[in-house]
Order: sequence, then structure tokens, then C-alpha cells
Amino acid sequence: MKRVSTALITCLSLMLQPSCSVVEESPYIRLALQTEPATLDPAYSIDYSSGMISSLVHSNLVRYTPEGKLAPDLARNWEISQDGRTYTFHLAPARFSCGRKVEALDVLFSFERLLDPETISPRWWVLGTLLGAGTFHESGERPLPGIETPDDSTVILRLERPASHFLGLLAMPAAGIVCRTDVSALGVGYGRSPCGSGPWRLAEWREAEEIVLVRNERFVGRKPASEGLSFRIIPETMTRIAEFEVGNLDLLEVPRAELDLWRSAGPPLLETEELRIVYIGLNNTRAPFDDVRVRRALNMAIDVETIIAHVLFGGAVKANGVIPTALRESPHPADLYPYDPGRAMELLAEAGYPNGFEMEIWQRENPEGGRILESVQAYLGRVGVGVKLVTREWSAFKQAIERGTPDAFYLDWFADYPDAENFLSPLFHSSNRGGGGNRSGYVNGSVDSLLDEAALCADTAERWELYRRVEETVYGDAPWIFLWFPARYEIVSPRLQGYRIPVIFNGQRFLDVSF
Amino acid sequence: VADVLKFVVKRILLLLPILLGVVTVTFLLMYVIPGDPVLALVGERYDEETLDDLREELGLDKPLALQYVEYLGRLARFDLGTSFLTRRPVSEAILERFPRTLTLALSAMAIAVVFGTLIGLLAAWGRYPRLGRACMLFTLAGVSIPVFWLGLLLIHLFAIKLSVLPPSGYGGGSLRYLILPAVTLSLSSMATVARVTRSGVIEAFGEDYVRTARAKGLAELVVLGKHVLRNALVPVVTIVGADFGSYLSGSVLTESIFGWPGLGRFIVQGILRRDFPVIQGAVLFMAVTFVLVNLMVDISYGFIDPRIRLGGKGR
Repeated sequence: MKRVSTALITCLSLMLQPSCSVVEESPYIRLALQTEPATLDPAYSIDYSSGMISSLVHSNLVRYTPEGKLAPDLARNWEISQDGRTYTFHLAPARFSCGRKVEALDVLFSFERLLDPETISPRWWVLGTLLGAGTFHESGERPLPGIETPDDSTVILRLERPASHFLGLLAMPAAGIVCRTDVSALGVGYGRSPCGSGPWRLAEWREAEEIVLVRNERFVGRKPASEGLSFRIIPETMTRIAEFEVGNLDLLEVPRAELDLWRSAGPPLLETEELRIVYIGLNNTRAPFDDVRVRRALNMAIDVETIIAHVLFGGAVKANGVIPTALRESPHPADLYPYDPGRAMELLAEAGYPNGFEMEIWQRENPEGGRILESVQAYLGRVGVGVKLVTREWSAFKQAIERGTPDAFYLDWFADYPDAENFLSPLFHSSNRGGGGNRSGYVNGSVDSLLDEAALCADTAERWELYRRVEETVYGDAPWIFLWFPARYEIVSPRLQGYRIPVIFNGQRFLDVSF
Repeated sequence: VADVLKFVVKRILLLLPILLGVVTVTFLLMYVIPGDPVLALVGERYDEETLDDLREELGLDKPLALQYVEYLGRLARFDLGTSFLTRRPVSEAILERFPRTLTLALSAMAIAVVFGTLIGLLAAWGRYPRLGRACMLFTLAGVSIPVFWLGLLLIHLFAIKLSVLPPSGYGGGSLRYLILPAVTLSLSSMATVARVTRSGVIEAFGEDYVRTARAKGLAELVVLGKHVLRNALVPVVTIVGADFGSYLSGSVLTESIFGWPGLGRFIVQGILRRDFPVIQGAVLFMAVTFVLVNLMVDISYGFIDPRIRLGGKGR
């Protein structure tokens, strides 16, 4: 008996010895993901994790730098024709991680594959502006007139009509260039063993545990400074924080509620305003929200600044307008809707609702959203608008707003590519009502025509002027309750050098990040 | 032995209608709950046509009855289908993840039984009343503490403050990674086991056979082990057996907190993303496991207490 207990104690003390450290030594940059990518196939990458990692493995014709500037990727350089409808790309010599040379035919293959009706890619619209893309997406009949490959290293893309944001679309994960022999050989399996010409190559994917990328030695550009990236999949925020605290992670996104803790102690906090807007969409097709006075009143009834200060711990900037700061050429419009419950009640009375009305605001399950909407509910209650909060989980919520069921919904919009266009066309062009992004059913002919004009406009300054006018109109029409542009906070381990939060989610390729 | 065999065969045959019920209910539930699976596959910006194409590809455009019949047909061939989202066979993922959940559940069960019985014994013993009261307090805390909070507390204590165990992860199955999640998962059941053991032991102390054993001059430990505990253990087995199913499914929270790549997280992911084949496959698998475990519990009664006869008629 005694021997057994001695052995037990020895075992336990060996196991629990502080010297067998809990820190896992690793030559790799250790990162955490909240959700696991569904696939690394560019054609099916729709969520944040999939798109971000797929962009590390694949190259595009062009890409964004961490600062959000367009830069060459596979295309060494390119020319745009006078009429803005023909783009000629000259490819740099490059190799896929499997060893094959990247040819113009791979670009053709990847783009045709994205558009092919057989592929059923939810992101085919990324290349929807190519000449003949619509017809091709219906029939799948080759050749696609919008793409031409005169030789091994030249790709000519023709557009249906000029689209000033086209290069931004080409930098999206969906437009990643895949190895055509691998895709043909692997079929749906490609998503789990991708072969791209990006700076990193997938070395290991242990489901629900970890994804390991190692340096792609065949990458033609300047090679990444570190040997590899490991992405641990840790769903719980508190657990991610614990892993960072013991030193098992090199990078941590800090939740806003923890800001004070991390501001006061430890390594410096990185901060950036995200390319994201948070709003409460109003159902513009339905009374009383079809009346602009009501919509303006709702905007003025809520003290957004106070909610930011107390519920978001200061981690956001009030949205006067819809285009985030980083994408602007001129300052935000002046605040049209300062907190003024008196004026809000006047407007409601003018619109014929002196005693207010009842409405529902729908939200997806999310603790922070819940706290925010409870404040909103209280503010609106003070001007006589009774709010019922309805919570659904994501897929049911999405279904409801697609069907236009709710009076109003709490939602946000992330940039697909860093361009003001991405915050205007999808959200407010009448052709994008519903699944296209305009979920409040907003229709304004002059906004539509200004946006169409901007798409044809090659001159940056002129284009910005058009966007500015669109924003001004939309802001005045108040199809939403405008809330804020949230900030993102990250913290890095002392050993990590050269990291910055990318402007766009797939802009950080960890090339210059090292120990 | 023949009796036991007959019993087992009978129970296994009974499995079929139960599973058919499970299959049918989960299948119907998929279509009753709100949320469209194809919406989970398209992101924030899409067109109706893509939704229709996806529905067609996944067979969701067919009449419900036809989908059901086809589904049963696949099940008959032991085909659980392919995940809508990852395009990976569901059975493959389940076989990969189930052993990890099983490891976690079995470890938690072992901890619960061993420590729960010990604590229950101490509480019932009565020689050290203070210790007994402390044990009861512990069991009260054990059933009341939320798993989530306990998990974080253990991480804070053992990983951050003491630096002796890793905060989360699977570590390729290494024991060090198993300890915290297993303890977390075991606590509430450990408390229940302790309470049941205590009342069983107290009851047994009053029985004639214990008095006889003591009167024979047997050592207290022998009395406890051979006479008291053995009788007090029958309800414990029932509880652990009944709890085992909830270990498997209840490990969801524990798996999330500790980043444990088990079946629980798999199901939650499936539910959140309306991945029908994943939900259906995993629920069915859980149901089979649950029924089998119950069967084993029933059989084990016979070994612990030979007076309990399987199959109804006593002799």
C-alpha cells in the first residue's frame, strides 16, 4: 500500500513539476483562430478564417499590403486600357508549392472554375464583371470571352463595362490562383490539401485542433522571415487569453471588455479602426420606416456616444456616414443626428406618431449585441417607441432578414476589399436588395445613378467626389440607424517583431513578421 | 450465461425501432427549426440562383418524403453522408473525434467514481464529523458550480498561476492535456456519486449483515469494503451509467473551454451552421452509444448483485 502511494506521489509530482513547462516551444509564429476554416479552396472560402488562410497559401494577380495598398502579386505589372475595359497582366515567374510552374493557363483555369455553373461557387460574383461572365455562369460553355492568354506569362481580362474597383475584386480570396492539375486530381478534396503559389504552404491540418503552414520554399517573392505559422483553433475567448498569458500564443485579439486590463499592464496594445460598420437596418419598405422623418427620429433618439463609452469601453468611433476613415479622401460628414430626444419626438409627431409605435429589432445571438440593443431599447423607449428584441442564431436570423421579416435588424458589414465602393454599392444600390447586401430595401434613383457613374470613372478624385455625394444622400435618407466603426485591438508577444494589424483581413501575409 | 445472452440479443433487437425513431425525429426536426442550410454556405453577399443551385446539389430541393427515404437508404448502407460545409464524410469525422470524447468521458467517469465513492464514504463514516460535513459541502458545491466557471478557474489556477498544466488543447493525447478537462467534466457527477454513496453506506450501516460482520470481529476496513460498499455501489452504477450518456453529450462545454477536438464541438458546429448530415449522423451515433451503454449497465448489475436477474423472471 505504502509503495503504491509513494509511486503515485512520484508520478504526480513528475507530471506537475513546474520544470516540465506548460509553454510549448515553437519555431513558428503561434496564432489562434476562433472558428475553423471550412475549406481552403478559394472558390468556397466565404468566412473570415477560410479567406484569411487561403490567402496565405494562394497568390492572386494582385494583393493588398498590410497598409491596404494594392501591390503586385503574381502579376509583375499591368496595364489598363483607356476605356477602362481591358486589363493586361504580365505574370512574374512563379511556382506552385507542388513544384509546377504557374502559367497563364492556371489563371484562366482558376477564373473559369470560379464562374463555372458546375462549381456552384457562392463567390462567382467576384468575377461577375468579366465580359460574358453572366452567360458563362449560366451555360458553362467555353471559351469565356473575358479572358485571353496570348502566351504563358500574359493574361488579358476584358470587362463587360468599366469597373473602377476591379483590381480590389481580384485581390479577394475567391480570385486566388489554384494549381489546375491538383484541382483536377483532387476534386472536392482540394479544399483540404490546397496547392497555391503563396508564401506559405499547408503542412498539417488537424481538425478542430491546429492548422500548420510552413514557408513555401518555392515562393518567388521575398521569402517569409519565419519558418511557419501555426493556427490553433480555440473557440473560447477566455481560453485564448489564458494561452496568451502562459506564452503559448504570439498574437491575441483583445476583447473590448478586457481593454483596461491590457492597457495598464504588459506589452503595448495595437489598435486600428476596422473596415467595418455596425448599424441597425430599418425595413424601408414598411410603415412607419418608409417615412424618412421616422428614420431620422430614431437616429436622434439614441445616444450613440454614450453607448460607445460605456458598453464598448470606448472601442469604436460614431459613424457619421458609412465610409470608414481609412478609405476616405475627405473627412466624415458633419453629425446630422446628434442625440436629441426632444427633436426626435417632434419628428415622430410630424410623421403622425405623437405617441410612438411598437417595433421589433432582430439580432443574432451575441452577448455584446444584446447589451448594446438593451441600451437602444431604453433610449427608444424614452421617445415612446416600444422595442421588442428578438434573438435568433445566425442562420435563422439571416433567413429572416432575407425574407424581410423583421422591422429592423442589428448587423455589421465588413470590407471585402478596401475601397469606398464596397461600403456603398452592395449596401445601398437598389440592384443589391436582399442577398446582394442592401437588406434594408433602400431605393434611391439618384444614389443608383451616381454609383453607376462612379463605377465607370477612372479618375480617383472624381470618383471620390461621386462617392462622397452618395454617402451624403444616404446619410441624409437614414435608411439605417447609424451606429459606429468599431476598433480592433491586438496584442503581440514580446518576441514577435514587425507585426501590424492589416487594414483588410487578408492583407497581412506575415512576410516581415519574425522573432 | 444463456440468460444473459438471450437478454442481450433481445435488447439489441429492441435497438432497431428506437434508432428508427431517433432517425425520424432528428430528420424532421431539421426541417422544423428555422434556418436554411444553404444560407450558411454563401456568406454575406450572394444571389438567389446560387442558393437554388446549392439546394439542388445537396438534394434539398426534393420533396421531404423522398429525402427521407433516400436518407434511410443511405443509412442502411452505413453511409452517414457528407458534411455540407467541409465536404468531408461525416463518418470519417465521427470516427476521428469519438475516441477523444470517449477518452475524456471515461477519464471523467473514473475520477468521478473513485473520488466520489471515497468522499461519500468519508461523509458517511461518522468518525470525523467535521470532515464529513466538509465532504457534504464539497458535494453541494460540486453539483452547483457551472462547468464553464469551473473550467476557467482550473485553467487560471493550474496553467497561469502554478504553471503546471497546459491551459487547453489536445497535445496528441498526452495525459497532461487530459487532466483539467477530465476533472472539470467529472465534478458534478463526482458530487452526485458521493451523495449517493453516502446515503447507501449509511443505510447499509444499519443492516443486520453489517452488524453480524462487526460482531464476527472483522476489521472495520473489511466490513466497509466487503459488506457496506458492495451494497452501496449498486445505485452508483446506475447513476454513472445514466450519466455516461450525458458525459458524452455534456462534454460540449468542456470541449469548447479546453479546445478539446471531440465530438461535442463537432455537433455544435454542425448545429450552428445547419449542417444537416453532421447533425443527423452525430445524433444517431450518440443515440447508438447511449443505448449500448445502458445495456452494459444493465448487464453489470448482475455482477455486482447476483440477486438482480436479467430478463424479468426470477428463479
